[in-house]
Amino acid sequence: MFQNLTVFKTAYAMAVHAGQRQAIIAQNVANADTPGFVSRDLPSFQEIYSSRMGDQTMLRATRVGHVNGSPTSSIDGLAQEDRSFAAPDGNTVSLETEMVRATDAKRQHERSLAIYKSAMNVLRSSLGRQ
Amino acid sequence: MSDFSKALGVSASGLQAQATRLRHLSENISNADTPGYRRKTVPFRTEFDAGTDVSKVEVGRVSLDDGELERIFDPSHPMADETGYFEGSNVNLLIELADAREAQRSYEANLKMFEQARQMSSGLLQLLRR
Repeated sequence: MFQNLTVFKTAYAMAVHAGQRQAIIAQNVANADTPGFVSRDLPSFQEIYSSRMGDQTMLRATRVGHVNGSPTSSIDGLAQEDRSFAAPDGNTVSLETEMVRATDAKRQHERSLAIYKSAMNVLRSSLGRQ
Repeated sequence: MSDFSKALGVSASGLQAQATRLRHLSENISNADTPGYRRKTVPFRTEFDAGTDVSKVEVGRVSLDDGELERIFDPSHPMADETGYFEGSNVNLLIELADAREAQRSYEANLKMFEQARQMSSGLLQLLRR
């Protein structure tokens, strides 16, 4: 009964997504002055999550590798290039946009951890340990 | 390799690249009055690490600016030729200062990404505490 709790899996997938997004944003920021570098970003967690909601029998995950594959496999499959801002040297990183995205990722991560923690507290209370 | 260590590694490479850039800028500024000095420029390029699957930033070979050296009229100068001119440096302080400010801005952005990835992973570890 306690082995497959959806709330933990969802919170876990959300935290993993936030971490991956943070890694991609860090790459963008580090390459903010590299000529010809194209900025990349992951689609939002809600988008990925709802696109997999149709198949209820499958474990919901932000990508296939989360459930069965290794959690360290490539994230390049989902990342999308963003060419909305282009400098004359072909670099499309806008530091301001990246800062907003990074804040988003951090808030999402904190939210998922808060959900995870609160669900843990529920479990702990049911065990009678405070 | 987790996403957080990826993010930390990428941010560290960005910090290092910007610091190297700032070092060469200060070399240029301090040699602004050295006769015959050509300003140094550092190219940035993306280095894709296939093992960890991240695009780190790397500083390429330092190259010298081929711009024309400033000709200064001072017949009493030891290096002056028969017409009374000698060649100064081709450093434009305004350009160097603007570049230094940009390097500082990018450095701060990388530092912020580093700090944020650190906060996110320490938030994750907080889950283990009661």
